[in-house]
Amino acid sequence: MTRSGCIGVVPIGAIPHVVTQVIAAHITGYLNLKATVLKPLRNPLYALDERRLQFDAGTILETLESRPFERVDKIIGVLNVDLFLPIFTHVFGEARQHGRVALVSLARLAEEPSEKPQLSPTTLERVAKVALHELGHLYGLTHCENDPCLMHFSGSLEELDRTPLNLCRYCTRYFRDETGGPDHFSEAP
Amino acid sequence: MKNKMSIMVVDDERIVRESLYHWFAKSGHTVDTAASGLEALEKLEQFPFDILFVDIKMPGMDGIELLHKVKSEYPDTIVIIITAYGSIESAIKAMKTGASDYLLKPFKPDYLSLVLEKVTQQQRLTAEYNYLKGHIERITRFDNIIGESRPMQEIFDIIPDIAVSDASVLLTGETGTGKELIARAIHAKSPRAHYPFIAINCGAVPDSLLESELFGHVKGAFTDAAYSRKGFLEVVDGGTLFLDEVGEISPKMQIDLLRVLQEKKITRIGSSESVDVNFRLVSATRRNVEEAIEQGDFREDFYYRVNVIQVHVPPLRERIEDLGLLVDHFLLKYSQETAKRVDCVSDETLKCLKKYAWPGNVRELENAIERAVVLARSRTLTAADFGFLSPPARPVRGAHTIKEMERVHILETLEDCGWNITRASGVLGINRVTLHKKIDRYGLRAHKK
Repeated sequence: MTRSGCIGVVPIGAIPHVVTQVIAAHITGYLNLKATVLKPLRNPLYALDERRLQFDAGTILETLESRPFERVDKIIGVLNVDLFLPIFTHVFGEARQHGRVALVSLARLAEEPSEKPQLSPTTLERVAKVALHELGHLYGLTHCENDPCLMHFSGSLEELDRTPLNLCRYCTRYFRDETGGPDHFSEAP
Repeated sequence: MKNKMSIMVVDDERIVRESLYHWFAKSGHTVDTAASGLEALEKLEQFPFDILFVDIKMPGMDGIELLHKVKSEYPDTIVIIITAYGSIESAIKAMKTGASDYLLKPFKPDYLSLVLEKVTQQQRLTAEYNYLKGHIERITRFDNIIGESRPMQEIFDIIPDIAVSDASVLLTGETGTGKELIARAIHAKSPRAHYPFIAINCGAVPDSLLESELFGHVKGAFTDAAYSRKGFLEVVDGGTLFLDEVGEISPKMQIDLLRVLQEKKITRIGSSESVDVNFRLVSATRRNVEEAIEQGDFREDFYYRVNVIQVHVPPLRERIEDLGLLVDHFLLKYSQETAKRVDCVSDETLKCLKKYAWPGNVRELENAIERAVVLARSRTLTAADFGFLSPPARPVRGAHTIKEMERVHILETLEDCGWNITRASGVLGINRVTLHKKIDRYGLRAHKK
């Protein structure tokens, strides 16, 4: 069990402030962890695959993992570029089990994708879900077979919209053990 | 967190191995990677992976070759081929070789999730199937012989050993215990399995007819012999002859059969030519043969010839723990046959059924379940469906002599059994032929309601 400190939310590229604020608020509200919004980073052009015109999430993760971030335990990078892993067509977000950095992209979460996404409540809720889901992986949570659980794998927007913001009781227990959190925080019914 | 698999990703591209490694790890699976087919085989020797994701194009041993080796050495391991868009034909070839599925690179994450879910389910079903198959084979190891009890398991254990020998077998046990089923199981497991199994109830066939049935006859051998006819001893050629109620065979017929068993030759009635016969003899009797020998009803030399191996089939009351299984089996059988939805017997009734003595053994139980299912008004059978469980105490009225008492007793038993001769003979402890004779002798008739 590790007593958790603070989660840093890092905008990468031009990300509306409300997005990072919403993510930070959800981390505190749903996972009972401190969260703070950090200074923005530039778009990760180093990870652009010119053939696919997408950004390699693995490369971005490795770059951010090697970068120091002070006074935060975990990082959530927020982008508005289309992310992929070499074997997959795309990913909504990416994190590695027990890693330090997670990514979430607005690119495929907006109801009408564009360079300057319309931030409807639905889009913001999707961003928050992906961010919290990937953060769960950073704390060692795996995909959960319970449908009504934040850690249930969502491969499509329809599935993501059905997924709740809460963890099921089993994942809650695991997360609590990992973060050393209090006994009572948001849990799916 | 269940249904977690052990997965190996086999791909020469590090980035692919890492991507899939992390993706599977996030789903809680045990993951390993291999950069070549050889490395994959080495790792398989160390750990039995459930699923292999194999890239089709690799230097050295390619995906198809690896698939061949995995399927020949580890047939239970599921292989999923990963291929680029251009090599779809290779993917189809892989499917024909035994791959469970293939993925075209790059694929959607939810598609990988779907494929994984499908093969996980497939593997779970296979495991369940194997478990249930093993379980069913254990409890119904031979045809329809049902039993988990120790005596039945001992019989199941001995049947394969008996089956491979060609020695004569004598099955002893009360009527209705399933001796013929065991005879059939011995035949089915024997090298003679592809030849006929012929069963004759010696107690139900008069002696003169039994001789003709067994030995056959030539045209004109006796008044009704309009044609030549092969007997069962010839027809069974290569197979197994089952003589049920062998204790009822007359001493003369015992001598004839003894000669056949010694010489393996028969002579049809009315003929002087002998014919070679080839069969294995399995006999059964409900009588105490040693007592029959003492009383002179059974020839000792014939007894030793038919009794090379003896198997005693226990009465139902001595393996009453099998009753629940048998009830379920017959319920399923007769609810399907009658297309009636009768699912179970109430716990209380099952207790009563277990307390009942079952003089007619499994056959009586089967008849009781059949009758109950046919007449059932609800999905659950209760004690009311088994009237014999609480028979009213009835004085034997107007009976003075032993014969009169026998007549009344037979009549009441027949009425209790709904004039089912098989069941009534089981309850009375006499064979069906004898019961018919007694019905005729006493002029008994069923009352029309």
